[in-house]
Amino acid sequence: MAKWNYFLRRLLLSIPVLILGTTVAFLIIRAGPIDPAAAILGPSGDPTEYEQLRESLGLNDPLWDQYLDYMWNLFTFNLGQSWVISPGDGAYELIASYAPRTLWLGFWSILIPLFIGIPLGFYAGLNPNTLSDYFASFGGIVWRAMPNFWLAIILVSVLSQSEKLFGFEWATFLVETNIVTPPPLGFLGDPLSLITAPGETWPVVLGATKQILPAALVLGSASMGNEMRIGRTAVLETVNSKYVETARAKGMSRRNIVWKHIFRNAMIPLVPVITGEAFLLIGGSVLVEVVFGINGIGYLFFQSAIQGDLPLVSSLLFVFILTLVVLNIIQDLLYTVLDPRVGFEDQ
Amino acid sequence: MRDYPAPFARWLAGVSLLLLVELGAVLSFVLGVANDLLRLTLGTAPLSGAVSTSQSLPTLISRDLVPNRGYYTGEEWAGTFLGLEPKYAWLIRVALVVVYGAVWCGWLWFGYITFRRHYRVADWTPTDDIIDRLRSHQWGKFGMVIVALFLLLALFAPVVSPTTMEQNIQDPYSNQIQYFSEETGEVQTTTAGAANRQSTSVGSVARNVGPWEYDNFNRFHPFGTLPSGKDLFTFLAYGARISLFIGVSSMLGAGALAMSFAMISSFYKGAVDLALVVTSDSIQALPVLMILILAAVVFSNTWIATVYNGALLFIALFTLIYWPYLWRAIRGPSFQVAEEEWIDAAKNYGQHPAQIMRKHMAPYIVGYMLIYASLTLGGVIISVAGLSFLGLGITPPTPEWGRAISVGQPYVASASWHISLIPGFLITLVVTAFNAMGDGIRDAVDPQSAEGDEATAAAAGGGGA
Repeated sequence: MAKWNYFLRRLLLSIPVLILGTTVAFLIIRAGPIDPAAAILGPSGDPTEYEQLRESLGLNDPLWDQYLDYMWNLFTFNLGQSWVISPGDGAYELIASYAPRTLWLGFWSILIPLFIGIPLGFYAGLNPNTLSDYFASFGGIVWRAMPNFWLAIILVSVLSQSEKLFGFEWATFLVETNIVTPPPLGFLGDPLSLITAPGETWPVVLGATKQILPAALVLGSASMGNEMRIGRTAVLETVNSKYVETARAKGMSRRNIVWKHIFRNAMIPLVPVITGEAFLLIGGSVLVEVVFGINGIGYLFFQSAIQGDLPLVSSLLFVFILTLVVLNIIQDLLYTVLDPRVGFEDQ
Repeated sequence: MRDYPAPFARWLAGVSLLLLVELGAVLSFVLGVANDLLRLTLGTAPLSGAVSTSQSLPTLISRDLVPNRGYYTGEEWAGTFLGLEPKYAWLIRVALVVVYGAVWCGWLWFGYITFRRHYRVADWTPTDDIIDRLRSHQWGKFGMVIVALFLLLALFAPVVSPTTMEQNIQDPYSNQIQYFSEETGEVQTTTAGAANRQSTSVGSVARNVGPWEYDNFNRFHPFGTLPSGKDLFTFLAYGARISLFIGVSSMLGAGALAMSFAMISSFYKGAVDLALVVTSDSIQALPVLMILILAAVVFSNTWIATVYNGALLFIALFTLIYWPYLWRAIRGPSFQVAEEEWIDAAKNYGQHPAQIMRKHMAPYIVGYMLIYASLTLGGVIISVAGLSFLGLGITPPTPEWGRAISVGQPYVASASWHISLIPGFLITLVVTAFNAMGDGIRDAVDPQSAEGDEATAAAAGGGGA
């Protein structure tokens, strides 16, 4: 039961975390130096309109009332509306129309590192101190150190001039796509069409995937380096453990040892890395989306922040914080289920 | 030390000689910082006179020693050091700075040896082992060399850049340069701004001054020019200053917070620890880059965003955002040391908690702190560059590496590839070096630790910038 006690404790702890995180957002937006009403109207706003806006946003109330109002609204999922980006539209509609592209990007940028980073790391760990190990390890370190936005710029330019540089045109490869545009994701709203009209839908899926791949590669770059390094260490540690030696001594085939005894145990330390990726994705999607012209939720946040749409910003921030807290809970749940040591360490 | 002063005096003499060589620069830097601080707190600047006096003091390693700015008369170079070509004059000056830095490093090491041989009571301490392990760690040494070069680039930015910040970037139209005109066959004078306008790098081969090239005014550009015609190397050297300043200051701030919180939570445990866990979890639940963007927008028109071109705002933000990551990383080691018997013993002797933490816990934790601070510093540099890429934060025209990448964005796949690529390579190199240094320190401080744990992984990502 110690396990589930641990999980319950973590679950309870996430409540104050959510409240405090949202409070920080409130303090920056409402108690900070910017007047949200003035930011919405811009420098040429007229005074009566300004007063009306202040009244309707509740800015004339005492700060304490504002705080309670703000928290109550967010925690009852009354996320308000946009004032500048698309005036009058509710935050839900905006999130529903922008989020799918970010989710599509996030999906691929978790998948790509998984299928490139982990195999490379395991390969390096199985062949330690060889030339290919050094190459992979060093590559992973440098790959991780590259700024995402810089990598994105390079990739965009190289892909848009791939004809000139490599004699191979990326834009017309397989299906014709643009490089700096959002992927068409209509099929997500109508998943049945994948079966009912495969001839029309699958090329769209292919195109959407192809468009998102460069951005996903960039966004997943840091995680890929991490997974490689940690995968390598995990394999190295497992290879040198006693039970692998035993398996070898009783004459088990190398293939069996590697697949059954090494890989499965080496996966354990990778679990938190994979869930931790989602953290980087939520924060990092801003820059990658801006460079690749994908109007996802990070792009929406950036635009509403620089254009002074602070009510929308605070709702988006709450959604991000909520997502991160939920991810944390999922990670704890995975830990609790997978690792038998959880809950006994602290005692 | 009083009984046997000779070795120490010898070392001190060397230090003062090294300082004397750079007296003007050192004094004007120290006085300048003090002056700025006074201006912030008092509102007046009583030291301004002293600053300008100190600037006129002789400085050996300076632009004047090896001038690289001159013009080619068709037969020979005029105005440069020994009549050499500007690029060689510039290289000599850079080499001088590197040698000066290397001598400093060597002398500090000699100072440590002197201390160890003549003044330390113990023959051996655990620190000796740490240093020995660090000395045989090739990857860590590589990191330290690159970090040292980066420090030199930042500290000696006015000396190593081929032209001056004032003349080339801040106020090009008030400064004049001389050049040799081939049409008229005589030496002419123009403003640096007018010359910049004809030295732009905007993609086509005809309108491009690439790395290691001269422009039409006999000015040498080691890294080429920006689309505005300004010198990229000068821009990056001064940009290194601000990146380094933000990185180091915020890591000092966050490190100090994390250290004291780690010691307090491991010493008192219980409710204090729980409160810190909740606080740090809440801060870690905020998406870093988005909070930075929001704060940069919200504070953009306030006084805090004007201090040191916006660097102070970033330092405050990074300090507040990154301490939980550092605290989480050193919480384990600090709980370990709190369990040790010597802490119990000190408690039973009735020593004050603050003293126990400072004397008996801090020396053990500070090594771990160095590891994570070094790894996180790379992330801070990337974040600052990412924000100035978005046009937030450091106010133009103050150079910042991210802005160079941003202005070069349209020209990446053209003749002017250098504008975006060189700053990006430099960021990658510096961040790799800080990571390598962190790896080296970790292997030296804690040889048993497994590489790449969770905290490291999160720290080095720079919030996904």
